[in-house]
Amino acid sequence: MMRLALSTLRGHRGSHLGTFVAALLAIALLAGGGLLLASVLTARPPADRFAAAAVVVAGPHEVKLTTTTTKKKDKVKTKVKTETLTGSRTLPADLAGRLAALPSVTAAVADVAVPVRAGTPDGRVLRGADGAPVIGHGWASAALTPYTLRSGRPPNPGEVVLDADLARRAGDTLVITTRTGTRQVRVVGVAAPDGRDGLPAQGAIFLADADIGAVAGTAGPTAVALLAAPGADTAALAAAVRDLAGDAGVHTGADRVRADLPGALPDYIGPISIFGFVLGLTGFAAVFVLTGTVTLSVRQRLRELALLRTAGATPGQLRRLLGAESVLVAGVAALGGAPLGIVVAEVVAARFRQLAVVPAQFEVRTYAFVLVAAAVAGMLVTFAAARLAGRRAVRIAPTQALTETANVPAGGLAPRLLVAAVTTAGAVALLTFVPLDGPLGIGMSFVATALLLCAVAALGPLLVRLLTGPISRVLGTGGAAGWLAALVTRAERRRVAAVAVPLVLMFAVNAVMLLNNALVADLAESEQAARTAPATAQVSMPAGLDLGTARRVAGTDGVTGAAITLPTRVVVAQGGKPQDYAAQGLLTTGTAPALDLSVREGALGGPETFAASAYLTRQHGWHVGDEVPVWLADGHQVRLRLSAVYERARGFGDLVLPAGLVAAHDPAGLVGAVGLRYTGDVPARLAATVPGVRVTPALGAGPAGDAANQQGGWELLMVISLGFTAIAVVNTFAIATVSRRREYAGLRLAGATPGQLHRLALREALITVAVGLTLGAIVTGVVVATFSTAQDGITRIVVDPLTYLAMIGGVGGLGLLAGLLPIRLVVPRRSLPALEA
Amino acid sequence: MRDSGTTVVELTGVTKSYTAGIRALDGVSVTFGSGSFTAVMGPSGSGKSTLLHCAAGLDRPDSGRVLLAGQDIGGLREPRLTRARRRRAGFVFQSYNLMDSLSVWDNVLLPQRLAGVRPDRAWARDVLRRVQLDGREHARPAQLSGGQRQRVALARALAARPEIIFADEPTGALDLATGRAVLALFREAVDDLGTTIVMVTHDPVTAGQADRVVFLADGRIVADLTEPTPERAAAQMMAVVAR
Ligand SMILES: Nc1ncnc2c1ncn2[C@@H]1O[C@H](COP(=O)(O)OP(=O)(O)O)[C@@H](O)[C@H]1O
Ligand SMILES: [Mg+2]
Repeated sequence: MMRLALSTLRGHRGSHLGTFVAALLAIALLAGGGLLLASVLTARPPADRFAAAAVVVAGPHEVKLTTTTTKKKDKVKTKVKTETLTGSRTLPADLAGRLAALPSVTAAVADVAVPVRAGTPDGRVLRGADGAPVIGHGWASAALTPYTLRSGRPPNPGEVVLDADLARRAGDTLVITTRTGTRQVRVVGVAAPDGRDGLPAQGAIFLADADIGAVAGTAGPTAVALLAAPGADTAALAAAVRDLAGDAGVHTGADRVRADLPGALPDYIGPISIFGFVLGLTGFAAVFVLTGTVTLSVRQRLRELALLRTAGATPGQLRRLLGAESVLVAGVAALGGAPLGIVVAEVVAARFRQLAVVPAQFEVRTYAFVLVAAAVAGMLVTFAAARLAGRRAVRIAPTQALTETANVPAGGLAPRLLVAAVTTAGAVALLTFVPLDGPLGIGMSFVATALLLCAVAALGPLLVRLLTGPISRVLGTGGAAGWLAALVTRAERRRVAAVAVPLVLMFAVNAVMLLNNALVADLAESEQAARTAPATAQVSMPAGLDLGTARRVAGTDGVTGAAITLPTRVVVAQGGKPQDYAAQGLLTTGTAPALDLSVREGALGGPETFAASAYLTRQHGWHVGDEVPVWLADGHQVRLRLSAVYERARGFGDLVLPAGLVAAHDPAGLVGAVGLRYTGDVPARLAATVPGVRVTPALGAGPAGDAANQQGGWELLMVISLGFTAIAVVNTFAIATVSRRREYAGLRLAGATPGQLHRLALREALITVAVGLTLGAIVTGVVVATFSTAQDGITRIVVDPLTYLAMIGGVGGLGLLAGLLPIRLVVPRRSLPALEA
Repeated sequence: MRDSGTTVVELTGVTKSYTAGIRALDGVSVTFGSGSFTAVMGPSGSGKSTLLHCAAGLDRPDSGRVLLAGQDIGGLREPRLTRARRRRAGFVFQSYNLMDSLSVWDNVLLPQRLAGVRPDRAWARDVLRRVQLDGREHARPAQLSGGQRQRVALARALAARPEIIFADEPTGALDLATGRAVLALFREAVDDLGTTIVMVTHDPVTAGQADRVVFLADGRIVADLTEPTPERAAAQMMAVVAR
């Protein structure tokens, strides 16, 4: 069978080229997406600040919830769910002293790590290499890496030592801002780890040990690192430490790096969801396209299959032949696809590093198992699709080969209807029951799109029959080409469906993604504008603004109202599962409101209270007055009473907490913006009292840095998705055209000129494109309208007319081009009719 | 009845080779007069199909001249060549060459549609009736038997009322009765409509129906029989094969 498969492959290189191209790209995309996801999932912090320590103790960096459910027959089930924190709980101040007493410990260093906004006295902001955050420590922590002095001396109070990388950009004096305020410190030394200027992904400054507690605003250290005598038994030491450490984490070996402040380590949460989406999207598109391509190319070979039947091949042999062929083609494609996948991953990673979607230290690791899995998946899909398409094809009667044409026995309608019903029901369920205004909204709307696309593919020929009638009546008028195109498209429903489905895919996937993202961005922008509308101006400070200074800003003469906001993240639990949300600390002063959150119920403010977005309130079933446990950034749990429910949460956060609480428990804890209501010359007065302050009339600032990065990621994802689906469209058109050589030759012999055939192809492409765009617009319309309604109750279908038109024009234009180019190659303008049909 | 004195197709010294050295046609000169019915016979591979293709302008000779209704089609480039051909000539191919996705009726009208002329529906219906396909207008070629398809191909060639019909083994796949009917139809077209017919056949009985038989061997015309009978055609064929 393999030998026969090999020889039929050799004999039909052309007709397998389409499958090969689809399989190659599918495997490359699966491998690329898989490598990116695997790399980001296994990405380790790029450097270990505790390299010199044997054992490191650090407060838990996650919220851990254990739920115990007793089922019938006394079966007890325990579930542990965790959520990582952005900060860290501090350790008892006396812990270092107690640990120092353990045998083989030479020193126990109380390590403090605090995010610092650093700048020069003239207001220039200083960041670490590649825009990394700057973290402040006490000088004692230098020994843990170790950082050694290259020049100067250790810091005394009011002084600072910089890592060599920062030192290059800093002057003699450094201005540092933390949640405890702004200080000027004198640079007295430069320190660096062995062989490099600093640690990757974090800039380090060292303050006097006497200063660091006050600067960080914490009562105890964030970690205690133990230096041990050479040759000490680390495992035994760790066990001893565990007895004393309570619920704090004890880290040894490669795990030590996890003891560092979460904010000091690169964060892969954003990239994980983006790469997960990349893999999901490309994986779906690849499998979808590959299945369609294989089915189409098997159907184009019915005549040959029928001939094999007359030559004595049994249906079973044909099935095996199709299977063997497909595995061979996909196998050869995998040889190119897997390496191409590495290239894809590298290119995407490079671009993402540029866009700062991933940290500069992110590297693609070439996991063999991912490449193998992608290759196997590609081969399996090709094999399954070939067998499925062949299932009907091989039942072809041998006599069909003797006659002019080989027609597929009409496929069972029942399985098609069943698949369509199941996938449509799935899509409807998703669109109905998943809260699309939540964090899963975009992802779920994509899954619903995918399900609807499967339904369209299953119902393809039926839908095409419904549509080609009216469409071809319009597009098929005038001339022999139009007449013929209308007849052919109506007769060849399967082929039209096969070519139209990739167009539907291209339009729907990309339009849904573009339109939904545009809608969310628009809504976030307009909510931001509405939120800040009452304020006369927004005050921010590039070098960082602490709550105390913000209060002074709010207290400036002439200010009638102020709203101080501190961005943070908090964790709340639902059904035993801790979940992290963006939140804001809020302090309002004065009588005139400077922030309008559109409070729907209750009133903002009051001690021990919080406000929640309408979405979150609905999700958790809260009511005003409920008391809710909330974990703050450092893991500290508070019980707060829900005092208000507000609407305008987009680009802001789902919870609003007292500002003081956030400043006290978020290690960064700086003010994001201050909205001011005032009359008179407040800006001038501000400039005098708070140097470096920036007053902007309205908050014209774009989305926060994080959101902008994510946007870049989405755009790149769009490029990948558009590119792949475009290739799929061209590929399908090419397969369909090339396999029609016989038909075109026949038309030429019947008296058609090459020009007429080109016009025929154009008409057919027009009809096919119209069918594809109609179906694509329906799928897109359903998903986008539901998504839009879920956002703000307004049903939109087009969302952004320009984007919509561009999608129609782009997809339509590509379809026409893809329909026209291959026929120009198959039937050159001056060619004679082909007599060997 | 057309004036059988005029020439519809004239080939002069036509040579054609596909692979270097082997000449499918080797200096063939022949004319087909208007309203004449010519059979072309010869062993397999002797160049019969090639002769028809070159005469109809479907293929270009390497050298020599082809006049179709007085027009030198050797110098024509596409698409003018196709236009010239489809205005004057109909073709019935060995492989029927029907469009699968068109019904019998649409297949029959196809050449006229392509030529941009208003199809003569009454005549097309008449032709279909004569080939005993009335009632099958809406069938697809795939639903027909080989003989029925052959008749659709014939009806298509006749429906456009071309000056000349080239037919490559049109009765090859037909049973005796259908073959006779087809032949009768050709005869009728020649006698009643003045159509010129050039038909390749292996069957001396079929050839016997024609006004003239041209014998080909190795790309050359080796005999030219007028007023043939099946017996004379068969005898001449034996002689050609024995050469
Ligand atoms: N397309 C082609 N390519 C190469 N050789 C061809 C082609 N068509 C015909 N021939 C050769 O030309 C010669 C004449 O062929 P043809 O006209 O088909 O013969 P006939 O119709 O009498 O059987 C044969 O030797 C045949 O092999
Ligand atoms: Mg022949």
